Amino acid sequence: MASTPQTLWGLFLKILGLAAAIGVLILVVILVSLVISQNATLPKVRRRGTPVHVLVVLGSGGHTAEMFAILENRFDFSVYTYRTYVVSSGDDLSAQKAVDFEDTIAQRNKIEEPADNYTVVTIPRARRVHQSYLTAPFSTLHCFWVCLLVLLGRHPDQRPLPSQYPSVYPDIIISNGPAVAVCMIFAAKFIRFFIFCFRWVSGQASKPEISRLRTVYVESWARVRTLSTSGRILLPIADKFLVQWQPLAGHRAWWGMKRTEYCGWVVL
Amino acid sequence: MAVKLCFVTVGATASFEKLVQAVLHESFLAELEKHKFTRLLIQYGKGGQHIFDAYRAEYESGSIDHGVEIGGFELRPNMTPYLRMVQDDPANFQELGMVISHAGTGSILDALRAGVPLVVVPNPDLADNHQQELADELAGQGYAIIGSLDDIPGTVGQAVKQGKQAPFFRRGHGDRSTVPLTDELSWVD
Repeated sequence: MASTPQTLWGLFLKILGLAAAIGVLILVVILVSLVISQNATLPKVRRRGTPVHVLVVLGSGGHTAEMFAILENRFDFSVYTYRTYVVSSGDDLSAQKAVDFEDTIAQRNKIEEPADNYTVVTIPRARRVHQSYLTAPFSTLHCFWVCLLVLLGRHPDQRPLPSQYPSVYPDIIISNGPAVAVCMIFAAKFIRFFIFCFRWVSGQASKPEISRLRTVYVESWARVRTLSTSGRILLPIADKFLVQWQPLAGHRAWWGMKRTEYCGWVVL
Repeated sequence: MAVKLCFVTVGATASFEKLVQAVLHESFLAELEKHKFTRLLIQYGKGGQHIFDAYRAEYESGSIDHGVEIGGFELRPNMTPYLRMVQDDPANFQELGMVISHAGTGSILDALRAGVPLVVVPNPDLADNHQQELADELAGQGYAIIGSLDDIPGTVGQAVKQGKQAPFFRRGHGDRSTVPLTDELSWVD
């Protein structure tokens, strides 16, 4: 009878050891996938003139203003032929700005039916202002889940893409923060991980394929010498990390990872 | 007569009463007059109304005397028209003026886009380090002048002196290349 507590204790230790081992294994898998993902060279198989679907995450307020300045001045819409705008619930201003922006683009390029070239999708917030930190992990998971749905083209706000788009996945995901951007970029990398595993298992890994769900993060113009919190989180995750000030160029998450790129004042 | 405008903006988010007070102070107005400014327009924001109204009441009582026409409003959604009024535009009878702005990104970008002399005044009541960093870096590269609340009048002479030879007229509008994403799309060569 005296041995029962000891056996229980032993069992507990074993479970703990097993859990720790699984944890370490998962961590190693994540780290290795991040290193592989950031250093992969893309096969040059996308033909010029084929339509490109870009997903733009609008972060509200100053983030939204910066994003539209970038889109207006530095994006060629004859290349990025379809746009999906993602706004947080309650941020009607950003949603309206997206519609206004598309109207201006359509007028400039004399397009009859601008609504065929874009969608605006509303997703729940990762953390509302003043929300408790206790419930925040759950709302973040919810946000992540909805981001997955958007990337898979299964969000109720989305209509089927025009037939010239062979994939439901956006080709490029561009954002400049804050929390929603982190969620969306995580979701994109999550899907890419499974695509990668599937291709590897089914023996197609060496077959060149058009790369989609590429993630681009543009650090805010207001960030001069230090990265923002979203920026620091996304440093090992985003495929391309653009900064608008020289002192922030060349940062990387750790040895062997991709460096941040200076791109000038793209918001001006 | 050509208009020479000093436009002051405190932004939408936070109030900046100290800046509104500083630009309605007689020493500042005297300095504007000395540098031949004809108008002062103040976007006084939240909490700035009572300072502006108090000034106007005093002015109408006849106790203040200067040659600068003063106007003000709380906030308007688009500041671009006011920044255009600061530009050098002889066809519209405008001389090059100046902008005094809080250290908010939106206002600074608007002024840089307009290419006008810019004084940035960080708000000491807001503990926001990266706005100070932004102001320092802009000043270091010659895009803006940093103004402190103790010496707003002194910035007028500096802004006028920088005027057209300031770097915002030479830089910033040249490079208009698209965001470098072609390697992410990986086109066939």
